[in-house]
Amino acid sequence: MSADNGFEPTIIGFLCNWCSYAGADLAGGSRKKYAANVLPIRVMCSGTVSPHHIVKAFQMGADGVLVTGCHIGECHYMKGNYMTAKRIPVVKELLGFIGISPDRLMLDWVSASEGEKFARVVTEFSDKIRSLGPSPLKGRVHGRVKEESQASA
Amino acid sequence: MYLEVMDGKVTGTLPSMNHPISEGSLCIKGWNAHEPVHSQKRLTKPLIRKDGVLTEASWDEAISNVAGELARIRDQYGPNSLAVLTSAKCTNEENYLLMKLTRAVLGTNNIDHCARL
Amino acid sequence: MEELKKKVKQALEEGKIHGFLGLKADEGDISPFFMTKDNIAELEKLTAPDGRYSLGKILSRIAAQNPGKAIGVMVRGCDERAIIELTKASQLGTASTVQFGVACTPQTAEKCNCPQPYPSTIDFGEKAKSVNHGELLTKLEQMSVEDRLAYWMAQFDKCIKCYGCRNICPVCYCQECTLEDKNLVPGGIVPPATPVFHFIKAMHMADRCIDCGLCEATCPSNIPLRTIYRHMRKVMQELFDYVPGRAADDKSPLGTLEEGGRLIH
Repeated sequence: MSADNGFEPTIIGFLCNWCSYAGADLAGGSRKKYAANVLPIRVMCSGTVSPHHIVKAFQMGADGVLVTGCHIGECHYMKGNYMTAKRIPVVKELLGFIGISPDRLMLDWVSASEGEKFARVVTEFSDKIRSLGPSPLKGRVHGRVKEESQASA
Repeated sequence: MYLEVMDGKVTGTLPSMNHPISEGSLCIKGWNAHEPVHSQKRLTKPLIRKDGVLTEASWDEAISNVAGELARIRDQYGPNSLAVLTSAKCTNEENYLLMKLTRAVLGTNNIDHCARL
Repeated sequence: MEELKKKVKQALEEGKIHGFLGLKADEGDISPFFMTKDNIAELEKLTAPDGRYSLGKILSRIAAQNPGKAIGVMVRGCDERAIIELTKASQLGTASTVQFGVACTPQTAEKCNCPQPYPSTIDFGEKAKSVNHGELLTKLEQMSVEDRLAYWMAQFDKCIKCYGCRNICPVCYCQECTLEDKNLVPGGIVPPATPVFHFIKAMHMADRCIDCGLCEATCPSNIPLRTIYRHMRKVMQELFDYVPGRAADDKSPLGTLEEGGRLIH
């Protein structure tokens, strides 16, 4: 695929403190090999990941955003991930409608014991973003293409 | 443009929806037109800088001071040493009068509007 | 109209309502007005014109000043939906409303592209046919993702950040607005951070937009904002069977921790 041109995606990963971050820890601890494209950000619950965080990540040049949380029914705040499950599809729809491929945003559930799954999810998502290419928002300053704003300055 | 008034205080701005020119739109200055009205920072009395300190003055004193200074500068350095900047917060008519004052009284064409800054 | 004026007057005199909020015509200029028993003569100017204002928003400010009182308000289809949303969000406080329904004329309905140009109870006017032009929405939905991005970026670049869409919106009530957050939308730059600025607004509109179209009507740059919000309404209906402004006891799926819609397991 586009591995030829050496494109390595930057992916922001929002990992919930109780399950997914521990899952990532386990993946590392058990020396699972997985793509190094995800920059993890630990959040207390996937339900706290606001659409603002996601769109800000894209604005700052992320090629993809991965949100992982506890499985439904296993949230440490009882129902926090219900919020995530409802919110992410809406965010995806809006991203798609504005013109950012909804495939660039991914939600999955990874529990603390699923180190292997975490490695698999990250690798698969990285491959997918690699095939999608760089984010169309990359290189824009406040939405404008960099060269343009420099030329006008 | 409409100003929303509640208990004698201006609280908000609304565009005029059936105005033939603006057609219900306002620019950012228009939308915030109500904000300076009750602002604490608003200048309500003329101040003259005396020995480096701004001191309250009467309107008569302030106006004769300004007129005197303008006349002095005009006579000493010529009318083109003066320039006037008008404001978007003034009405059309006020801006027109200021233009007349600048050209006919001060004798210079150096007049511009803040919207062109 | 005379009958409606009489009704309002009676309600005021009987003390059923403390004041009345409606639209008036003053030498051809249409503006909202609020009156009480003390200036009952104002009522003569009451009108149901082509022009619209977000009466719901003005009502919420009046309600804040008059806790516990009943306030009469002239409502069209859109105003009624706005008041439902504001009630859900506890923006009317302890004030109650007495609504006087006004159905829009077919011309107004056409101009506003309004799918429901009448309130649930009508005191004046006749139900006009619903209008629903969605050509742009259909066209955009059929475009490729790349073309859509190009389209919206060109539209968003026209934005002069006047905040008019937020100021006029009957269901935008927050005291502190995310659109003024310096981290998300850096200050002093026009057009504002694209597409973040419009993305945030659209995300907040998803479970609130009552499709009145005032945002688009007031936009000095003619950005087709309503099309985005209409798409979000559609999404909310498809995913959660939720329609903002439908009923006061509905709960937004994005505002509650309950299970709902297509949960991803």
